[in-house]
Amino acid sequence: MASSTMAGAHDHPRGLRRFLFSTNHKDIGTLYIILGSIGGVIGFLLSLGMRLELAYPGVQIFPGLAEALQGADPSMALDAGKNLYNVFITVHGVLMIFFMAMPILIGGFGNWFVPIMIGAPDMAFPRLNNISFWLLFASLVLAVISMFVEGAPGMKGFGGGWTFYPPLSSNTGSPGPAMDFVILALHLAGASSILGAINFITTIFNMRAPGMTLHKMPLFVWSMLVTAFLLLLVLPVLAGCVTMLLTDRNFGTMFYDPAGGGDPLLFQHLLWFFGHPEVYIVILPGFGIISQIVSTFSKKPVFGYLGMAYAMVSIGVLGSIVWAHHMYTVGMSLNAQRYFTLATMVIAVPTGIKIFSWIATMWGGSISFRAPMVWAIGFIFVFTMGGITGVVLANASADKQFHEGYYVVAHFHYTLSLGAVFALYAGFYYWFPKMTGYMYSETLAKANFWLLFIGVNVVFFPQHFLGLGGMPRRYIDYPDAYALWNLVSSSGMIFVTLSLIVWFYAIIEAFMKKRLAGANPWGVGATTLEWTLSSPPPFHQFQVLPRITGASR
Amino acid sequence: MNAPAPRSRKRPQMIAAALVVGTAAMLGLSFASAPLYRAFCAATGFGGTPRTNLAGAPSPGERVLTVRFDANVARDLPWRFEPEVAKISLRTGETKTVYYKVANLSDRETSGQAAYNVTPGQAGAFFVKVACFCFEEKRLGPHEAEEWPVVFYLDPALEREEGMRGVREITLSYTFFAIKDSTAAKTSETAIAKPKG
Repeated sequence: MASSTMAGAHDHPRGLRRFLFSTNHKDIGTLYIILGSIGGVIGFLLSLGMRLELAYPGVQIFPGLAEALQGADPSMALDAGKNLYNVFITVHGVLMIFFMAMPILIGGFGNWFVPIMIGAPDMAFPRLNNISFWLLFASLVLAVISMFVEGAPGMKGFGGGWTFYPPLSSNTGSPGPAMDFVILALHLAGASSILGAINFITTIFNMRAPGMTLHKMPLFVWSMLVTAFLLLLVLPVLAGCVTMLLTDRNFGTMFYDPAGGGDPLLFQHLLWFFGHPEVYIVILPGFGIISQIVSTFSKKPVFGYLGMAYAMVSIGVLGSIVWAHHMYTVGMSLNAQRYFTLATMVIAVPTGIKIFSWIATMWGGSISFRAPMVWAIGFIFVFTMGGITGVVLANASADKQFHEGYYVVAHFHYTLSLGAVFALYAGFYYWFPKMTGYMYSETLAKANFWLLFIGVNVVFFPQHFLGLGGMPRRYIDYPDAYALWNLVSSSGMIFVTLSLIVWFYAIIEAFMKKRLAGANPWGVGATTLEWTLSSPPPFHQFQVLPRITGASR
Repeated sequence: MNAPAPRSRKRPQMIAAALVVGTAAMLGLSFASAPLYRAFCAATGFGGTPRTNLAGAPSPGERVLTVRFDANVARDLPWRFEPEVAKISLRTGETKTVYYKVANLSDRETSGQAAYNVTPGQAGAFFVKVACFCFEEKRLGPHEAEEWPVVFYLDPALEREEGMRGVREITLSYTFFAIKDSTAAKTSETAIAKPKG
């Protein structure tokens, strides 16, 4: 230890200390990816429970689950089971957003590759980075605890959906402490993301290598910059929104209680002012990853680089002023509906720029269909599907029919469950050799892709039909008329489950076979700075700052 | 060669401080949004908020609309509350006084505050209250009964508004809520009320 104090901040701790007290952006990124994988697997298991339940009409498995998981009394098992189903949908949403997509895409890949891609030795505030991670870990613990304490009277867990609308989430609907746990979990997750966003922006503004101008930054870094600004803009609003809920619940304020002059609609406005940009926070890093991958495997620079960068900026700006399209049914004036419909549809323009620029990048390129590229093309396909249904839902008149129905569920799962997750897998298979130094089995990676691609499409495509047929979301049961497509949808989970098993096996196989990847396994197309380093990169990279001269993108 | 000093860069602490200030501002804005929105609605009549304190008597208009009166009482307030008439016909620009009959049904003094709104929402901008019992907290002794007036007119400007063309009927709705000073007061109140049934 005596010698390591001499080395100061540049020592190389081992074992538990290395990760627990880590200030190294790569180690923290790895921790984020592990945490996100755990959150994602739990979230997946919850969705597996839901799909098993919905495979047939009637209530089959949740009463038993409630007895097993929450110790519900057998005489109360049916009601406890219905409550548990609602808890499952709630926690599934919270986990997948805050503890799967955001940690892996922003905390994981962002921490790993933003400093490397701009030629920086580390993040601007390494200790802040450590705090961000452990706050998120504490937040995950609180979120999971909430499932096992009282929420609604006599029930365990909060089951009001991930949007936490009062009065479902106020003392009226959920007097027990479960909702308080959820609120505090959101506070910690929000604080973690805000600190992370400050870190990213400072790093990108301040620590670019000589010659790395903003307009030469790789698009993944651009996507993280826009994402970080969005986080700073909207997460404080979420914090304020749930803080008001907390004081309403515990300290007698009346922000959301009409009896005291409050308004539950205020909550919806504040939540969606956060909630809509949040979906872009999740998808923008995915856009960045896809841009890198499409460029790498087409062996061409990205088509329309500046257009791509500023399309992301305008998606961020537009995404922040369309929130009330989630609330068409609350009785807004016709003019407000007109505005939100129009503004929402305008987002299709920058999104279209991105889709077409990816296609134009591939056009005439020397494409190699390695696993990351296959995932990226899969992303473009499913995200376009989700985008099209999004334009449908942007129409206030149509949305009033589809509101709280399975068409909406299908839409946002095509953009997030398929879109964000495919981008995440694409990034995972793209950077896995760089992060670990080992090459995975190409066959397994592609098997993972095809199983998940078939699986999620079988799960979610029929949900469009269910939604058009009028099936509402967030119910444990449904009339027999919806039985066929629900069975089809549930059967898709077989493929999804298999794909996850293949994914685990692919990782284990890669670590066992130890096929060395080398600095750049992807060849001439991979032009960003991370491929100039060894795989895995040294503990501290760029002791001598790289100098960027050409138009390397 | 000439190694130019890196462009004059702000210190990272400065950037971080600016970002923290921006974050705090957004947090403050989320709390300020409710009062700001309320002030906006009161000033413009947005979202069915009847307008108050407009200076000057209106000039008489031409259209005649039906105004309906709706009265509600929250569960925890032991009051009876109803308008003297269910609906009236009213020419725009004509000032009208309507009384609401209210009675405390309990054996103790209770106080309430009315929340109010008009539908359809776009009518709010043209529904002008000159005086209303809903502007203040109201207190009723045990079994006390009173009649409270609301004085209002319909702004003739609605005749020029496209969104009001199809509107023939405006509903003015009140809901009386019990005054809750704090949760402590509320719980003690219910604790007292319960044994009496």
